[in-house]
Amino acid sequence: MKNWPGLSWPRRAGKVENVLTLGIDTATRVCSVAVCDNNKILGSLEVNVGLTHSEGLVPQLETLLKLARVEKEQLELIAVSRGPGSFTGLRIGMATAEAMAYALDLPLVAVDTLEAIAYNLPVAGVRLIPVLDAQKGNLYVGSYRWEKDRLVETEPVRIAAAQDLAAQLQAGEGPAILMGECHRVPGTDNCGQVTLAPESARLPRGSSAAILGAAQYVPGGDLHAYFGMDPFYIRRSEAEELWEKRHPEGR
Amino acid sequence: MTEKAINILGIESSCDETAAAVVRNGREVLSNVVSTQILVHRKFGGVVPEIASRKHIEHVMPVIHKALTDAGLTLQEVDAIAVTYGPGLVGALLVGLSAAKGLALGSGKPLIGVNHLEGHVFANFLADPELEPPFLALVVSGGHTSLLVVEDYNTFRLLGQTRDDAAGEAFDKIARFMGLPYPGGPEIERLAKNGDPAAVDFPRPLLPGCFDFSFSGLKSAVINYIHTEEQRQSGFRREDAAASFQQAIVDVLVKRSQEAIRATGLKKIVLAGGVSANRHLQEALAEGARAAGAELVHPTPILCTDNAVMIGVRGYYQYLHQDFASLDLNADPSLKLGE
Repeated sequence: MKNWPGLSWPRRAGKVENVLTLGIDTATRVCSVAVCDNNKILGSLEVNVGLTHSEGLVPQLETLLKLARVEKEQLELIAVSRGPGSFTGLRIGMATAEAMAYALDLPLVAVDTLEAIAYNLPVAGVRLIPVLDAQKGNLYVGSYRWEKDRLVETEPVRIAAAQDLAAQLQAGEGPAILMGECHRVPGTDNCGQVTLAPESARLPRGSSAAILGAAQYVPGGDLHAYFGMDPFYIRRSEAEELWEKRHPEGR
Repeated sequence: MTEKAINILGIESSCDETAAAVVRNGREVLSNVVSTQILVHRKFGGVVPEIASRKHIEHVMPVIHKALTDAGLTLQEVDAIAVTYGPGLVGALLVGLSAAKGLALGSGKPLIGVNHLEGHVFANFLADPELEPPFLALVVSGGHTSLLVVEDYNTFRLLGQTRDDAAGEAFDKIARFMGLPYPGGPEIERLAKNGDPAAVDFPRPLLPGCFDFSFSGLKSAVINYIHTEEQRQSGFRREDAAASFQQAIVDVLVKRSQEAIRATGLKKIVLAGGVSANRHLQEALAEGARAAGAELVHPTPILCTDNAVMIGVRGYYQYLHQDFASLDLNADPSLKLGE
């Protein structure tokens, strides 16, 4: 795979060459932030000790910029991981990212969390299956595949029972690599087609969010286009699901 | 003007209102933006935390932007960012708090963490320009019923608080039991207008030897009464039940406030919190305070319910006190008064 990572990403009209991008991912227990100059990771800071993102994220961003010798005024773009993932974690990341973008007059792009995880692993010819906890024994499941140097979504993000997933992947075509919160998928030992991504590539990374975000960014347009943006929850709140069960006639 | 004006951007998201405001020198409102979710939660009969958080993230930046635009200021022209960090719903608090911290990091402006309840108390500085500590405060909301002494702008001494249900909680629970829509407080007040407050003699719980409150016994008595009358099909008037219940709560609040006025000798008492919008409470407490030798101050209706103006006012006095928060400030859903 040449030109990894990101330089050969399909260009959009008006795409600029180099974008100094701050990437934020708080979708899981990992708090990962990075600053990337287009495809070059200038700095990346990851914490995975179960600290609350509400406490750690902003000091982590401050430290990152300081260590990477980047003045916040030099930033050109902010990319935030939009989900699926922990509802509260996503909102912490998104509120912080939006507010920073507002304060610095920067554009903001939101990237799919599962796609950003798949982007960690540049392996062609396999099914990349990032999974994240969706509560109550369920997982958010993404399906991606590298075609030449493009990462392609082969199936929309879905919710599946964790216990069925290993068998499903075993029955599918070709080898599959589980990514994300793989430890939540039982029974992978007996599935020859299914392997687990290495720990270093498994979890969300701010750098993947930044690089994917820069590739998706189209300059111009409304600077405040992110006003009113929602995380990619997939699920409605439990209260709404219950209410609709009890009121099948609708609103 | 000799001294530079201090502009504080206030942000509030502790329950079901997303709010932002700009306040100058703690007393002048430059803007006041509130995006309310009341109708969103009504069909559920109360605030659903996850839905509240979802609405907050949708609205928080547009609301902040409008507050700055209405004030005619840019973010660079404000002196500090004040934000509610508790008490409240944790997921809801975290949206406003994260936005405030992102603004602080991006702009380099100082961050101020505000106690929501202190904010409610400080809304009274706008109602009464002459108000200055020390004074008494009665905080009555859906989550709190507290009597405290505001000794100076940064020192609060708790005299007493509820041991079980808050007054507003009792209003909401009775309203829900009577099948009234959320939020129940104003609905009970509306119903009570056409009722006889002396129709039913509900208990007026006054714990001896302290300034604490307890409303769960009263709440149960009201629910039992309505339940029994409905079973007997006695044709009782709901208006009378609502008026008698409201009167019992008001009597307790007034009596305790009078005791506090007499015990402290303070000449002003301020009313704060969502229930301070109750007109009957305002009138009865004004009269009761006067009889005990003090004057009542209560916020204008628009500042009784949750808003960010009060956060900006409280934030201004913390700014003068150099009471700044670090960027690891976390939400504290059960933050107490005076902490």
